[in-house]
Amino acid sequence: MTTLKYILRDTWRLIVHHWVLGLLTLITAGVMLWILGVTTLFSLNLENLLTRLESELAVQAYLVKDNTLNIDSISERIQSLEYVYTMRAWSPSESLAKLQKKMGSQSQALDMIGDNPIPWNFEIHVRNAGDVEPLVEALKAMPEVEDVVYAGMVVRRISALSRISSRVALVMFLLAVIITALVVYNTIHISLYSRREEIGIMYLVGATRSYIATPFVLEGTLLALIGAILAAGGIVAAYFPGITFIQQNLPLLISSLIVERGIIWRFCALLAGFGATLGWVCSYLVVARFINSITRPE
Amino acid sequence: MNIMFSGVSKIFEPDIAALVDINLNIEQGEFVYIIGQTGSGKSTLLRLITRELLPSRGTVAVGDFDLRRMRSSDVPYYRRDVGLVAQDFRLIQTLTVYENIAFAMEAMSVPKRIVAERTKDVINQVGLWRRRSMRPAQLSGGEQQRVAIARALANSPSLFIADEPTGNLDFHTAADVMKILFAINSAGVTVVMSTHNQAIVNASRQRVIELEGGRLVRDERGGTYTG
Repeated sequence: MTTLKYILRDTWRLIVHHWVLGLLTLITAGVMLWILGVTTLFSLNLENLLTRLESELAVQAYLVKDNTLNIDSISERIQSLEYVYTMRAWSPSESLAKLQKKMGSQSQALDMIGDNPIPWNFEIHVRNAGDVEPLVEALKAMPEVEDVVYAGMVVRRISALSRISSRVALVMFLLAVIITALVVYNTIHISLYSRREEIGIMYLVGATRSYIATPFVLEGTLLALIGAILAAGGIVAAYFPGITFIQQNLPLLISSLIVERGIIWRFCALLAGFGATLGWVCSYLVVARFINSITRPE
Repeated sequence: MNIMFSGVSKIFEPDIAALVDINLNIEQGEFVYIIGQTGSGKSTLLRLITRELLPSRGTVAVGDFDLRRMRSSDVPYYRRDVGLVAQDFRLIQTLTVYENIAFAMEAMSVPKRIVAERTKDVINQVGLWRRRSMRPAQLSGGEQQRVAIARALANSPSLFIADEPTGNLDFHTAADVMKILFAINSAGVTVVMSTHNQAIVNASRQRVIELEGGRLVRDERGGTYTG
């Protein structure tokens, strides 16, 4: 308990002694973690939106018109394809009824055709847009399948967008982490360097390495944590008004976005924890290295 | 705490022999002057005792510790039993006299109340109580050296290492510092002090170990120093 009191006092001394540098670190860490948080939230929301679009992508497989076809057996074979997420078989009569319903007042035109021209068909949903193309290939390879209809261009674009957004999010995440880590690392390094003589004296009069190191590690952790809390505050301040704006202007999008306050608060807590951990790791690395170098006997 | 050097050499890179084949034994409670010209190896010898340096060859043993084989995690505990005073005082400029002395005990997790009592004791011992709130830069050289002595005394060491403690002081101030060192020694603490001040060595006739070019050339009880 006594040691803890001394360590906390020394941590406070360090922060006060380098308050300008500390403030700059805190602001930089805050801005970087804010960017990191916003990028992550944007990416999660985009992912949600793409997942919804992907789940709505349907591949329609039309069978050849042949009354001798064993529909149950074909259904089982399609179901067993690895890309199939959900599937529904539509009989010719069900398909016609669906079409009539879709055409509404113009459905009378269908009566002029005579016999129902629609064969048995399967409406298949995939998990990812990227699964559509291989599924189509697999379906086309089945002799009972006469035609496969799907929104090819849309699939390709969604698939590409999904890949790009993941990569951009990853790059932004890495950049934010690296910049935050570097800033904390440098601040603690400057802090250590400016007190190198003092550290040497402390070690010489019998202070343990952990006693010397802990205030510096705490300083870095605390600066990153406060930066992360500020970033979390900034995210909350920007996100909820943003959601309200989308609700008012793009209501169709809202069902695909994260709107639950609980999730956002948990996300912010996670960001704060992440910031503190990042600060701790960076400070620990620089302090361990520095103290080793100045306490090693020649 | 006794000190034993057995066949100790210290070579600095690339090939500078600071000490060559030193053998000596200092018993608990002795007062020893290490004398010699600048560059003779006095500071190197003391820094081997404080384990700021490791010998290139041979063994340095202090009390129960073999300093070469000592684990780095044990070094702080060893140093708590060694009081160190240097020519350049090695005080923390941002701390007051009181804080400079107290932190040596705080590093050992000594409770605040005991730190306060002990700090007051040692500051009084070196006669600086009225200067306790000042920072080192506000003190004279002699006063700073007394602060360094007080800090070294704070943990009640069994060994006191003083590297040219009077080097930057005038004669009268140096004499005051010496009085404090003799008082420490009279309490049973081993004192090893390097100096090239003839007057100080000749005034007290203690054991004298003389170094020349890194070699031990004289080890004499009640010796003098003629330069």
